[in-house]
Amino acid sequence: MKEQIKIRAKNLNFYYTDFLALSEVSLDFFPHQATALIGPSGCGKSTFLRCINRMNDLIPGVRVEGSLCLDGQDIYGPKVDVVEIRRRVGMVFQKPNPFPKTIFENVAYGLRVNGGRDREALSRRVEESLRLSALWDEVKDRLDQSALGLSGGQQQRLCIARALAVRPEVLLMDEPASALDPIATQKIEELIHELKKRFTIIIVTHSMQQAARVSDRTAFFYMGRLIEVGNTETIFTYPRHKQTEDYITGRFG
Amino acid sequence: MSSHQTHLNEEIEKLKHQVLNMAAMTERAVEKATRGFVERDEGLAEEVILGDNRINELEVDIDRFCLRLLALEGPVAGDLRFIVGCMRISVDLERIADEAVNIAERSMILSSRPPLPFHDDIRAMSDKALVMLRHAVRSFSSGDPDKAREVCCMDNLVDELNQKNIRKVIEYMVTETPAIRRSVHIINIIRRYERIADLSTNVAETVVFVVSGTNIKHQRYFDDRVPEADTPSRRIEDVGAEG
Ligand SMILES: Nc1ncnc2c1ncn2[C@@H]1O[C@H](COP(=O)(O)OP(=O)(O)O)[C@@H](O)[C@H]1O
Ligand SMILES: [Mg+2]
Repeated sequence: MKEQIKIRAKNLNFYYTDFLALSEVSLDFFPHQATALIGPSGCGKSTFLRCINRMNDLIPGVRVEGSLCLDGQDIYGPKVDVVEIRRRVGMVFQKPNPFPKTIFENVAYGLRVNGGRDREALSRRVEESLRLSALWDEVKDRLDQSALGLSGGQQQRLCIARALAVRPEVLLMDEPASALDPIATQKIEELIHELKKRFTIIIVTHSMQQAARVSDRTAFFYMGRLIEVGNTETIFTYPRHKQTEDYITGRFG
Repeated sequence: MSSHQTHLNEEIEKLKHQVLNMAAMTERAVEKATRGFVERDEGLAEEVILGDNRINELEVDIDRFCLRLLALEGPVAGDLRFIVGCMRISVDLERIADEAVNIAERSMILSSRPPLPFHDDIRAMSDKALVMLRHAVRSFSSGDPDKAREVCCMDNLVDELNQKNIRKVIEYMVTETPAIRRSVHIINIIRRYERIADLSTNVAETVVFVVSGTNIKHQRYFDDRVPEADTPSRRIEDVGAEG
């Protein structure tokens, strides 16, 4: 299982100006696994996720300490190309956020930003991504229609396709199904099972059942600290820490 | 962060209550069956046989209750282990009660015939088996894995008594041929207590699993256990089915 480490956080501290949002987080992520980040609101899950593709850089006054490596290379190192990091580490958000463009253009967006011009190649990549996100059959006859006409669940899978189009290695998902109905949620969960065969997946979720269903490993955060990480099966049958137990059994007060 | 009560918490308390209730009835059944045999009291034996229905019903109730909690509450961690543990324990308790019924049936037959000289031997064994059952139930009630582990250690002793007693009865049978049928019943009663001790050990093992999350099943003293098929008791039990 511990073939190689895809992402390694070591003693990671994160500050919003003076506020220490992450404290001494050390956590490894492995290829072809889905890791779920769980914990009460405000415990730093999204902050941690955004550290991994340097999305926090966009917020003024933030500071990172410790190290965060992708394939052994420090994501915050001096010579790092942030655009390249964000290509390698894709992200999907809580609310589906398609652009007011056609389905095709939504998926092709990242490719164009990264300099793709060849229409043939673009088409192939769009189809590949839509197939990967299990949306192809539903939209192949209306690629030139607006993405806004899709259902919420379809929009979210479109956003996943958009993230996949640039062929990332890691996919970050911040509560990707929390705005979706149960059937759309199930489709996303099925998709995660498929996607983890090819990518490293890190998913933030507030649903314990979802974490249990889709992830191989689960990490529990509380007040900016990593309290416990382990195989999902272990966490949900025999967590070592009382705080973890209280949280996952709903006794959290 | 402080923990608080949940709806599932209350349900789990109810479940625990039911299992303890079933355990108390099972303990009583074994006690009565034992007294019925030792005191040659057919009335007590009959009570055990008639009372078994209620224990069977409780097993079904507990099973249904657990299934509902699993389906509806999505229990995890300690809650999950507790519910799964209760399902296992209720199955073991039901079997223990069946063993008590078996003892009661045989002692009803034996009570009408002249007694054989094994009461003290069986008493020693039944005392140990009962202590194991009681301690297993206590360990469940208090969630005490150390007490549960003690029960598992006691099983060796009962196994030894089982071997010793069966050998003794067989030697007796060889010369006392008119008592063969009764002796076979005695051997079976001995084996029933050995089973009660085994099943009590199962209960204790489940308690360890519930409390500490570790599975200690099938980890103990296999080496000094005689393979089932080769024990004299097994061969004689087949004969006993006819007699
Ligand atoms: N842009 C921001 N500026 C200042 N504080 C923030 C910002 N974003 C989040 N925080 C704070 O950081 C903490 C962690 O937030 P977040 O990572 O969003 O938690 P989670 O995703 O676990 O709910 C919270 O206390 C939150 O208020
Ligand atoms: Mg968040």
